[in-house]
Amino acid sequence: MLEVRDVHLSFGGIKALQGVSFAAKPGEITGVIGPNGAGKTSLFNAISGFYQPDRGQVFFGGNDISHLSPDRRAEMGIARTFQNIALFRGMTVLDNIKLGGHTRLRTGLWSALSYFGPARREELELRREIEEKVIDFLEIDHIRKYPITILPYGLQKRVELGRALAMQPKVLLLDEPVAGMNREETADMARFILDVQEQFGITVLLVEHDMHMVMDICSHIVVLNFGQQIASGTPAEVSGDPGVIEAYLGAAA
Amino acid sequence: MITGDLKATYAADERVLNNGYKQAFVLAMAALCALMPFIANDYIILVASQMGIMLIAVVGVNVVIGYTGLLSLGHAAFMAIGAYSVPILHRLMDNIGLPDGIMPFIAIPGAIAISAIVGIIVGLPSLRVKGLYLAVATLSANFIIIFLIELEALAPWTGGLVGLNTPDPNILGWVFDTQREMFALIAALAFVTILAIQNLFRTRVGRAFIAIRERDYSAEILGISLFRYKLMSFAISAACCRLAGALFAYFYARILPEQFELALSLQLVAALIVGGMGRTMGPVFGVMIIVMVPEVLKFTFGMVAGGAAEVAQLRAPVQEIVFGLLIIFFLMFEPLGINQLVDRGIRALNRWPFARG
Amino acid sequence: MGEFIQFTLNGLMSGAIYALIAVGIVSVFKATKVVNFAHGYIIMFGAYFYFTFSVIVPGAAWAPDWLQSWEPAWMVAMKADLPMFSPMGAVLDWLSNLPRIILGLAGAVICNALLGLLIERTLMRPLIGQSTFAMIMITVGLISVLSGTKGLIWTADAEFVPHIAPNTPIRLNLFDTPIFLFGADLVNVAVALLLFGAIVAMVRYTKSGVAIRATAEDQSTAYSMGISVPRVFSRAWVLAATTGAIAGAILATRNGVSPSLGLFGFSVLAIVLMGGLDSYVGVFIAALTVGFLEAMAQWQFGGEFAEVVPYIAVLVVILIRPHGLFGQKEVERI
Repeated sequence: MLEVRDVHLSFGGIKALQGVSFAAKPGEITGVIGPNGAGKTSLFNAISGFYQPDRGQVFFGGNDISHLSPDRRAEMGIARTFQNIALFRGMTVLDNIKLGGHTRLRTGLWSALSYFGPARREELELRREIEEKVIDFLEIDHIRKYPITILPYGLQKRVELGRALAMQPKVLLLDEPVAGMNREETADMARFILDVQEQFGITVLLVEHDMHMVMDICSHIVVLNFGQQIASGTPAEVSGDPGVIEAYLGAAA
Repeated sequence: MITGDLKATYAADERVLNNGYKQAFVLAMAALCALMPFIANDYIILVASQMGIMLIAVVGVNVVIGYTGLLSLGHAAFMAIGAYSVPILHRLMDNIGLPDGIMPFIAIPGAIAISAIVGIIVGLPSLRVKGLYLAVATLSANFIIIFLIELEALAPWTGGLVGLNTPDPNILGWVFDTQREMFALIAALAFVTILAIQNLFRTRVGRAFIAIRERDYSAEILGISLFRYKLMSFAISAACCRLAGALFAYFYARILPEQFELALSLQLVAALIVGGMGRTMGPVFGVMIIVMVPEVLKFTFGMVAGGAAEVAQLRAPVQEIVFGLLIIFFLMFEPLGINQLVDRGIRALNRWPFARG
Repeated sequence: MGEFIQFTLNGLMSGAIYALIAVGIVSVFKATKVVNFAHGYIIMFGAYFYFTFSVIVPGAAWAPDWLQSWEPAWMVAMKADLPMFSPMGAVLDWLSNLPRIILGLAGAVICNALLGLLIERTLMRPLIGQSTFAMIMITVGLISVLSGTKGLIWTADAEFVPHIAPNTPIRLNLFDTPIFLFGADLVNVAVALLLFGAIVAMVRYTKSGVAIRATAEDQSTAYSMGISVPRVFSRAWVLAATTGAIAGAILATRNGVSPSLGLFGFSVLAIVLMGGLDSYVGVFIAALTVGFLEAMAQWQFGGEFAEVVPYIAVLVVILIRPHGLFGQKEVERI
């Protein structure tokens, strides 16, 4: 489904990624972990198209997408959320989620200007679908008309997940979905992520610091340290890997 | 929401005029505009026509500045192109012997189409990058276009510094040679423009514009091509200004290059900021204020000074200061403009008498 | 060939003055991220202040005679012996104007500094921390306010003011054609270059320059490191206004004071964007290039073509190099 092959990325002299290779298995949850500055977010940016890798390729559904723009990749079915929430703050929850449907809609300029007719039909269909598949699913119907700015952090994270789901993506990249959440919120979010994978069959790739959650929900884990991939395997394999233990706890442990 | 905001269907929830006050307001405005040619005096018709022309242009500026968040300071240039296209196209059509009655049907779309090229030349490069490049590119375009109009070598076509006489529109044999008739035409087109632009923001196209304004990389990740939608937004806004320019040419007997200088661009921006950026009704409120300011000043100066020339010549600078102060005042104290004040009022009315504020 | 050199020199000289104007826009942008669309009108105010203190005030009935024209006995005696248009005569003319020139420059610098401070305090400071879009739009509103205020205070148009240096004509022979340079022009260029260099050095090497650069990087971090961001803001505005006063005075000596001086700000804005907004070197090169191109346009096509050169140049540059000649593409952190 999604595969990165020997990706290198550097900014000036800093080598953010040095030869990262792995494949996210279709319909499963793959976790990317690593200490701060290991290059996890850079990897996401290379996959979603904000950075072009210096070397190596990104494959999606068998096609090389390394040089496509972010919006082209989104059209192909890659959705993502951001570490520090990138919702449209001036808009309501509903409008944010509707924007997720952008690539699936067909309304062009002329039918938009006249609205009544095909554009209206499409909009109402989008609304129904979002209400049923996203808003209900994420249990955010009580806040659908609220502006983003007044929502608490945990709910904003959930709305951002909703916006990504509205794209009906094939692959979902989640950048620290539970960062800064308390245990209860973390549990909620983990349940939503599992549901996404089970109900919609979406391939999930997630970056996270919360080890318990990663070990619990991921079927495959990739470990990065200083831009290098130091381990890859099932949660059990990875947590027993001496290199990983060293990276996390220091050489003495 | 204290009193009910209860809807049974998604269609009802998606309505724009979702309460009685808004519906009543729009109906009243439409009725007023329809009746005005029959009841209003010449002065009111003149001022209202000016408002209608400005309104169409400001609605356009709102798309690019208010909704898409791109600063453009040269929209007067697009009005100039729209205005100058009319007499020039009429002359060309005269030469090939087209009947007068169908000329506006070619001249108005023609005015819009011709200058699409100019818009693309100006917009295309600067929309590829972020920041103020569009502002400076449009500003530059404004200076260059006025320069070209005033240029001696092109004067046989543009009239140079002394301007051009403009024809009256003849629509299928009906000649709009009075200001009353022109007002009806302008009002109808203004309504259509507002409606069309409002429709835009109920669909994915308009939402994409707002997304770009709010957070551009986030828009990209949702599959919105920044360049494509920025260009589309710019093209729509420029088209509105050209329509306004074409109506300007039909409305007045003569057009002059100095009418389309930077001052007009600044007036368009001032109207938008005062009325409320990124709101449908913003341009309407803003244009009312901006067109009223000179009229009120004329009246006040007339009262205070009588005919004294030394005082009368202070009117132009005072008017400039008032425009500037309006921009600054609203940006500092009510950045969402009059529209926000009105919204607050409507909300209070909705809740009354159960709650205040 | 001689004509070409003459026009090139003229062009480079106006380019140097563009650079002096541009330094005000770049400094404010560096410190505050605000592009000041009204800078041209601040310059226009500088020119009118210079006009006020070097022409109106000395000409007033209550002003002492020596302020209007200082002519001690020895100078009268020397002048009497000189032939017409002699270099020494120009120097003596300048000497007798010197009191009002000094008063004019001092008045322009002080009044413009106060104007800059006033704008910063009342319009910019309340918006620190809010979107730069609002601040930029406020400078757009400022265009109208300043231009209207000028119309209320000074009704005179196209008045002439004394040159700031002796305007001795200098004749050179190059490639068998005479080239004329004027003393005042050379001094203007020297002043512009010195000020430009001083400001670049200040931003690069002094403590307040470091504060400006830190604020440019990240306002809130700079604030928390003990840098007074409001002070950096007001310094940047005062710096822009004072350099603008001198640029305004110089422009006024060249073309006379008139409301069209405000439009120089827009050509310089185009130049600043060509150079890349935050690069002093890029802006300096862009200023000289535009000055040169203007002179060429004037030479080949006539004076009215010169005024659109900066606007055409900026459109061409954006087309070829979207971030300006020397601007850097920002690496965005997401």
